[in-house]
Amino acid sequence: MSISVQVGKVKLKNPIILASGTCGFGRELAEYMDLSKLGALSSKGLTLLPRDGNKGVRVAETPSGMLNCVGLQNPGVDAFLKTELDYMVKSGAGVVVNVAGHSNEDYIAMVEKLDPYKDKIDALELNFSCPNVKEGCMVIGSSPVAIKALVSDLRKRTDLPLWVKLTPNVTSISETAKGAEAGGADAIVAINTMLGMAIDIRTRRPILHNNTGGLSGPCVKPVAIRMVHDIYSAVKIPVVGCGGISTYEDVLEFMIAGASAVELGTISLVHPTRPEEIVDDLEKYVKENNIEELASLTGTLELWR
Amino acid sequence: MKSEYKAKLINIRSLGETCSILTFLCPEIAGEGKPGQFVNLSCPHFLKRPFGIMCTDKDAGTFCIGVRKVGKGTEEILASKEGDEFTCLGPLGNGFDFTDVKKLLLVGGGTGIFPIYFAADYAQKHGIPTVIANGYRCKCDAFLYDEFSKETSDFYVTTDAGDLGIKGNVMNCLEDLDSSLIEGATVMVVGPGIMMKKVSEWAKAKGLSCFVSLEQRMACGIGACLVCVCKIKAEEEGKEFVHKRCCKDGPVFRAEEVIW
Repeated sequence: MSISVQVGKVKLKNPIILASGTCGFGRELAEYMDLSKLGALSSKGLTLLPRDGNKGVRVAETPSGMLNCVGLQNPGVDAFLKTELDYMVKSGAGVVVNVAGHSNEDYIAMVEKLDPYKDKIDALELNFSCPNVKEGCMVIGSSPVAIKALVSDLRKRTDLPLWVKLTPNVTSISETAKGAEAGGADAIVAINTMLGMAIDIRTRRPILHNNTGGLSGPCVKPVAIRMVHDIYSAVKIPVVGCGGISTYEDVLEFMIAGASAVELGTISLVHPTRPEEIVDDLEKYVKENNIEELASLTGTLELWR
Repeated sequence: MKSEYKAKLINIRSLGETCSILTFLCPEIAGEGKPGQFVNLSCPHFLKRPFGIMCTDKDAGTFCIGVRKVGKGTEEILASKEGDEFTCLGPLGNGFDFTDVKKLLLVGGGTGIFPIYFAADYAQKHGIPTVIANGYRCKCDAFLYDEFSKETSDFYVTTDAGDLGIKGNVMNCLEDLDSSLIEGATVMVVGPGIMMKKVSEWAKAKGLSCFVSLEQRMACGIGACLVCVCKIKAEEEGKEFVHKRCCKDGPVFRAEEVIW
């Protein structure tokens, strides 16, 4: 019995990856769980230069979820390489580095800085989907043509697996996924947060001082499942599913829809021990159900005809 | 390894329609909690809710918090019954540092009086001479008046309404304090932002070292999500501020490093 999975060239001991922006570089959650039990950890979204992130209120609770507008507060790629990468490597979890640019040039510069560390990194996750910054990210990630152009450029600059994290804030995520595949991406990660707003009815102002924010948590799960299935049906490269996962059943649902692995995060903000518990639950599930390879579940969805 | 602990609500002491003191059985937190630290308590909604610890009883394995209704989450927590099970993270954050504190001036306002009570009780048990000044809106919400009176004879109260103690806010009280009472004292403040700012400025003018406990909307409470940051003066030259996490780097900060 095995719960190990493969995302293209990347082998993971299990499908559980901590989603970017919900786990920093692992230090805080390491106080609550054994990170080495996880498939991988995706770093906080990195930018070329350090960023302070957005001002004022950055969070609003919503039914079964939350909006955030952190705005990529991070120490920058150089500080990451100096102080955080080795910590992530030593944690024993797979290392996924999330790269967020304001422009194509930013992505190129960061990939070139990260490429020399290929022995320590399992995959680069190209963040084309953060909704909380004004340039780059979601702007690039909304256009299949722009995605294809940038991914093919980055493809020439590194052999590291390139995972493209897509935004759900588009008309057709199959099209943006196809753009990433055509550019030479190794995998698609979907979905990032959905753009939303919450209003204080007393002040008639948005609760978030950025006005809008990214919605995450169990409330987005059905949308994410549908999108993972759309992408799985549209491209040949593997899909990493993400959106509202809180239990091992959710993981199975994503895998059946077509995910080779999954990312979870908002649930760790409520229950920091949950990711490790889900790994244990998956072990138990394959044993109890006599499933030789958990990975065999990927894409086994049978639609009603 | 830290964990998410079970916390059983064993006592509810109502302080009025919108405020109660809740006591939980949770030995893991009772044994560890320090004044200024907080717990992140499960809520029927989605995210946990942070509350400053008001007291702990290591032997009984309990801790208590003061909860005032501010939204739907606190409303539901206040509607709980004795015997209800919660889950809880904690104790979280950096509490007040009592090393080298020879004399103490505690200033509380709003729900800040609950963590201030914990600090007062700690000081009393450790023989630290303490002056307490609490600002309330009116006599009707002068929570813990009797308890504070037992902690020190130098307990001052102000009310906006003027129906108890000095009429006005805590500044009216602080400005009239006998200088011998506060000379060399460390100031610890928990309350509304404007109160903490004013007290900080007053303490600076008096040359007293001052600590404040900041409050922000939180999600994880453990430093992972970065939603609860506050503006803190940067040490780095040429940079005005850094965003520090209220939950993990605070909630207690030195007053002079806070950008209000």
